[in-house]
Amino acid sequence: MSNPDSVPDLTPPDSERQKPFDTNEIDDEDGNDGDENDVEDDDEDEDGNDGVFRGPNRPKPQSREARFRSGKLKMESLLQRMKTGPVSVRVHDVIIKGNTKTKDHIIEAETELLNNVGSMQELLKASQIVNLRLQALEIFDSVKITLDSGPPELPGTANVIIEVVETANPLSGQIAAFTKAEARYSTVEGSLKYKNLFGYGDLWDGSLAYGYDHSTELSAGLYLPRFKGLVTPVTARAYLLSQDWLKFSSYKEQSMGLSLGLFSSEHHDVAYNIAWRTLTDPSQMASRFVRRQLGHNLLSSLKYTFKVDRRNSPMRPTRGYAFVSTTQLGGLVPDNRSLRFLRQEFDLRYAVPLGFYRAALNFGVSGGVVFPWGNGFSSKPSSLPERFFLGGNISPVCALGGPTTLWGFKTRGLGPTEPRRHVNDGTADPSGVDFLGGDLAFTALADLSFDLPFRWFREKGIHAHVFACAGNVAKLTENEYRNFSVQKFVESLRSSVGVGLVVPTSFFRMELNYCYIVKKFDHDRAKTGVRLTFFAAP
Amino acid sequence: MEQAGERESEEFTLVARKPYFDLPTACPACLPLFIYLKLAHFPFRLSFNSIFPDSDQIPYVESGTYVAYNNENGGVIERLKQDGIVDLDSEFHSVPDWVAMKAMISSWLADAMMYELWVGSDGKSACKIYYSDLSWPIGKVLFLKQVYSVKQRLGITKGNAEQREDEIYKRAKIAYGALSTRLGDQNFLFDDRPSSLDATFLGHVLVTLHALPETSVLRSKLLGHNNIIRYAEKLKMELIESSSSSSGPQIHSVPSSSTPKRGPSNWSSKPKSKPKREKTEEEKKFKRRAKYFLAAQLLAVLLFLSVMGGSDADDMELDDEDEGLVYG
Repeated sequence: MSNPDSVPDLTPPDSERQKPFDTNEIDDEDGNDGDENDVEDDDEDEDGNDGVFRGPNRPKPQSREARFRSGKLKMESLLQRMKTGPVSVRVHDVIIKGNTKTKDHIIEAETELLNNVGSMQELLKASQIVNLRLQALEIFDSVKITLDSGPPELPGTANVIIEVVETANPLSGQIAAFTKAEARYSTVEGSLKYKNLFGYGDLWDGSLAYGYDHSTELSAGLYLPRFKGLVTPVTARAYLLSQDWLKFSSYKEQSMGLSLGLFSSEHHDVAYNIAWRTLTDPSQMASRFVRRQLGHNLLSSLKYTFKVDRRNSPMRPTRGYAFVSTTQLGGLVPDNRSLRFLRQEFDLRYAVPLGFYRAALNFGVSGGVVFPWGNGFSSKPSSLPERFFLGGNISPVCALGGPTTLWGFKTRGLGPTEPRRHVNDGTADPSGVDFLGGDLAFTALADLSFDLPFRWFREKGIHAHVFACAGNVAKLTENEYRNFSVQKFVESLRSSVGVGLVVPTSFFRMELNYCYIVKKFDHDRAKTGVRLTFFAAP
Repeated sequence: MEQAGERESEEFTLVARKPYFDLPTACPACLPLFIYLKLAHFPFRLSFNSIFPDSDQIPYVESGTYVAYNNENGGVIERLKQDGIVDLDSEFHSVPDWVAMKAMISSWLADAMMYELWVGSDGKSACKIYYSDLSWPIGKVLFLKQVYSVKQRLGITKGNAEQREDEIYKRAKIAYGALSTRLGDQNFLFDDRPSSLDATFLGHVLVTLHALPETSVLRSKLLGHNNIIRYAEKLKMELIESSSSSSGPQIHSVPSSSTPKRGPSNWSSKPKSKPKREKTEEEKKFKRRAKYFLAAQLLAVLLFLSVMGGSDADDMELDDEDEGLVYG
């Protein structure tokens, strides 16, 4: 009975040791959570990489124990060889099994890496990456990659067998809460997802979101991992959005639109948005500036976001830096009646660890400017929803994306105002003011967070922080830029300081702060006292 | 520093829809208010909102924090009367004829104008007045919404469309006759003094003459009353053209795309009558046939698909059980 191992080397040594085995069991990282981790070598055939072609061979009748032992020996010898140096191998074929609905090319697109491997080590790494990518498509319940030897006449090759199990139940639902930094409020969203309707890895979802500041959004979206050869996935989202700003600026905003995610990578994101937006005032109390803005507009804009986030945690950053820059250009249709504007905002964060009690100093600087373009742009007003509004009850430390809020100031609570309509109903009370936002905004923050000296708090992750922030918004359009001066802007900076307790839960981060308003102006909505802020990671 | 209001509180501003067809504002709801303020020699600035065609708040008059919207208190004219700002009608309220004519203009003539702008004509005039500053898709959708809403308001359905049209035109004709008789040779409708009745009627007449197309049936009915035409032209010259040539504080500008001026010498009292009735019959027949054709096409396609189509492309799987060998 010939032992395949002892046959003289008529083939290059490495191919003889080819054994089909699972990448899943070799990896050190915890990448493959849902996969089976079977060691396959016991059940797989030993390959016919001897000098003689042997046909579909089954192992010679050996006892299970003996087979197990020989398999184990082979594995160990292979691992030994791999430790000493690269074991050269190339991929001959990628075989895909288990996909009844999913088109082959979707899976093959994720496996392109495998074609370029040159060694066993690279093959193992590539297989892990492919495994993760396939799982990230969210259309498979499990993904198993098996490495097998290639055809016997081609030594030094391997076949990769990918077995997928498509999701049994394509419909899934979830309810989640998250905070949209651009919108400056937190939302609760319920969504239904349907996976892989057409077999292109397409993910369809419908969602209904309700925001804290009375906004409602109904949307339906599509995510396509591969669309006609484009490198990155394409997302499309049709939405109906209604936002109620009557309390703050006397208008309601309704939009109906379509947004397309054109390009998305780790640092870059390009999206196009086309929407029909209507501003109305059912309260009929709006101030003059808001009255002029009421009506319908076509919004067609391209948005580019550049993001680098090297902080160790978005919820409690103690080390690292982050930078986000968002540029939005509106008015991309040849029609000069659509809304034309250029909006730029940036946000820079830096966290310095201090070494004791897990303390860290967080610094942040953010700013933004918006300007209309086109004929006579310097005298035209900017569009109200595109302006910058500061204030809200989300945590400035976590909200990354642009100038959003200051501790202690309520939603849309600072900046230029205009008196509302006065109704002569006998009372002499003024009706209040509308907050109009600004074309230029700036905020800066400093936050020192540290653990409390009690073990119970530390275990729960509850910590304290001391903070200070400053910010301002100013109007530049309608020829106001002529009256603008940096000195005036700095002199009118609002600021606040405070101390608080941070309670991170599994859903959101809550801060219970005592804020002291150092500087505010007459109409600003800010009060010294205890305030709660929330932040839920998207 | 933060206050954005910069105007004096005494100055009044009228916010109306955009000027067109050689009129300071071509919207039939806004022009009467403009004329009323002019008749009262009330100083005001003119400002425009051309992105909100479906708002019932426009036209409105504002001054500082005071605003008189058109959808409150019976309209801007009524509101200005109540607030003691402008009142031309103080002596007419008790005159029954005046009240009756006011009611007739606000119902019959207003309905006729609404019908003619949105349903009776091809809608081009309405699009120019209301949607020329909005992007095309928005304008188109709003136009269709408005046509539907007008049909609802006037009670027009497929079955009674012709009868309703006849009724609307007949009433307009009666109203024109009555007003023409009332006017006679005077300068104004009542007591030779201007009132809001003149403003409302004049607004209607000017929009009918200038904004509606020459094939308009309503326009042709109006052209039969020469004294009304004379009255309208005279007042237009006095109130609108003389003030626009003077250095008034008005900030509107006539758009370059306005139609050429149509003076009284250009009008004929026998306009081209559009053969509307026959067209409708033919159109209906054609539409019916087109619908049948489309339905037949669709049926054919469905039949083809169900009979000839069937097997989807199978995904052939390489199902090799014996893993060790791949290619024999």
